[in-house]
Amino acid sequence: MPLRILDHLEEWLITFLIGAATLLIFVAVLHRYGMDLSVRWGWDPLYDWLFAINLSWAQELCIYMFVWMAKFGAAYGVRTGIHVGVDVLINQLPERWRRKLVLFGLGAGALFTGLVGTFGATFVWHMAHTDATSPDLEVPAWIPYLAIPLGSYLMCFRFLQVAWAFFWTGELPVHEQAKVEGLDDEIEHDQAAGLPEAVLVGESVALTVDREHILGPGGRHRRHGGQAKPSGHKGSQGERT
Amino acid sequence: MNAAIIFGLLLALMLTGMPVSIALGLTVLTFLFTMTTVPIESVGLKLFTGIEKFEIMAIPFFILAGNFLTHGGVARRMIAFATSMVGHHHGGLGLAAVLACALFAAVSGSSPATVVAIGSILLPAMLKQGFPKRFGTGVIASSGGLGILIPPSIVMVMYAVSTNSSVGALFIAGIVPGIVLAFMLGVTTWWIARRNKYPRLPRADWATRIKAFRRSVWGLLLIVLVMGGIYSGIFTPTEAAAVSAVYAFAVAVFVYKDMPLSRVPRVLLDSANMSAMLLYIITNAVLFSYLLTSENIPQALAQWMVDTGLGPVGFLVAVNLLLLLAGNIMEPSSIILITAPILFPVAMALGINPIHFGVMITVNMEIGMITPPVGLNLYVASGISRMGMTETTVACFPWLVTMLVFLMILTYWPALSLWLPRTMGML
Repeated sequence: MPLRILDHLEEWLITFLIGAATLLIFVAVLHRYGMDLSVRWGWDPLYDWLFAINLSWAQELCIYMFVWMAKFGAAYGVRTGIHVGVDVLINQLPERWRRKLVLFGLGAGALFTGLVGTFGATFVWHMAHTDATSPDLEVPAWIPYLAIPLGSYLMCFRFLQVAWAFFWTGELPVHEQAKVEGLDDEIEHDQAAGLPEAVLVGESVALTVDREHILGPGGRHRRHGGQAKPSGHKGSQGERT
Repeated sequence: MNAAIIFGLLLALMLTGMPVSIALGLTVLTFLFTMTTVPIESVGLKLFTGIEKFEIMAIPFFILAGNFLTHGGVARRMIAFATSMVGHHHGGLGLAAVLACALFAAVSGSSPATVVAIGSILLPAMLKQGFPKRFGTGVIASSGGLGILIPPSIVMVMYAVSTNSSVGALFIAGIVPGIVLAFMLGVTTWWIARRNKYPRLPRADWATRIKAFRRSVWGLLLIVLVMGGIYSGIFTPTEAAAVSAVYAFAVAVFVYKDMPLSRVPRVLLDSANMSAMLLYIITNAVLFSYLLTSENIPQALAQWMVDTGLGPVGFLVAVNLLLLLAGNIMEPSSIILITAPILFPVAMALGINPIHFGVMITVNMEIGMITPPVGLNLYVASGISRMGMTETTVACFPWLVTMLVFLMILTYWPALSLWLPRTMGML
């Protein structure tokens, strides 16, 4: 159960950080642009109001947010299997060897992140004993740097977790590149709304296979212009089932 | 000697299949620990400062914008527009795929994202219309490569970051080559389709075209926003990326209403996942290039290259071969982050323009994406079409040849990439 909480915390944190950083920079751009415009058009009240808001710290905060997002996101990435390596060679090996190398790779990941976490912790420890502050936000400098030990240790833990699961089940998390999140929802939504639906990927593949059965693999060469359906459909929009 | 140890170690670690970022980091730690007296604790600091640049932050923003565009209906409307414009020529939907990829590339910075966005909608439509699966998969997997050449481009940001070049100038320099390559891919598609008599669509009238344009205009405006904003100096590239992320969100959720608000957290999480992976490679690559620099490896290599009298022409051939080879087994961000710090000083010593060099590397990466065994576009396209990797690779062959021809032209005719930024006074 505590693990589940950790998983969720991790996800919420990085979701929040990327969203908030984007909004922050967007607002900072609007702010700067608004000031320029209010000067050009002579809107003094707007200018005074905008001038009173100081957003010079936005850039620095954005960087810190992204560093935190990067460190914790990297840990999350271990869990989702997004950190790719050169697996061409090991996939050719017999299963026994592949297994050993995968475990070695995961172990190396845990070792590296563990070491970095420790360096980071030492570094933060020393920094916490100085008066250093960050240039714009003026927070104690060790606070933003806390991302290194925390993120790295978490990542180390994730590597061990994945290695443990692999050791017992032989399964690794795989990141699916081609999956479009929500495309299926879109189609369901269209159906519910009574709109004509787009062709499903799987179905169209089945259609091609059928056609190849009928015409043979080289069938496409025999399909001349006249045979091709002179459909007035227009691409994705027009192709309906 | 040290160079051999460093690269030998890196290669050995990478071949065990561990994540590239970890292999980079461990190489640095091992080398520092065993061969030097550099305090190893300084590594911790480097890992933070490595990504403490505002320019790098363009990467997560562009990924986020790209994801909103992929999931929202922007791609679908662009496809409809592209189809209405070129669908009546030979190759109908195939040509539309090239044009749609080029349009989508102009709002998205990633090639696999372009393949997914265009391919998952257009490929089924093409199959239904009677195009062979091979042709459809090939045209989409290869045209998707335009994603990183036509600005915005995540790969170009990576190059700019690791060589301290200007992101804006690189983006502008990518425009003309991007259009030329799109045209060449289109010609290839047209030619194949004409020879095999693939189906064409009836010519759309102007009323339909204008309607399709109006429906896709929200997506197309993003091109104006990003490029216009960067060129006119309203935004820095990073700010342009953030603005385009917010804009893409607004278009997907409020204008086209293709995405319910409830799906936004999921998109944020996916984008964060992808960006964190890239940022993690960057941090470790920064560490790695710090090691290379402190061992004077790039400088030594540059000196050696100049001494051999290879000259710019020979050097560029060598770089192209090296990158194409690397493109076979690694993904673009890692290649750029590892090779750029080494090759860049050599290129400078030989008097090659940094922006031209960057565009050339980007095209190499594009080709790497459709060459096996590791080609992101191939993975993605074979995921969509459910074709095997080998077949997908064969499917891409005609366009691969086109791209190689284009690479030759681009490499030895710098004006192709440099003319526009020069005219605009960015160089």
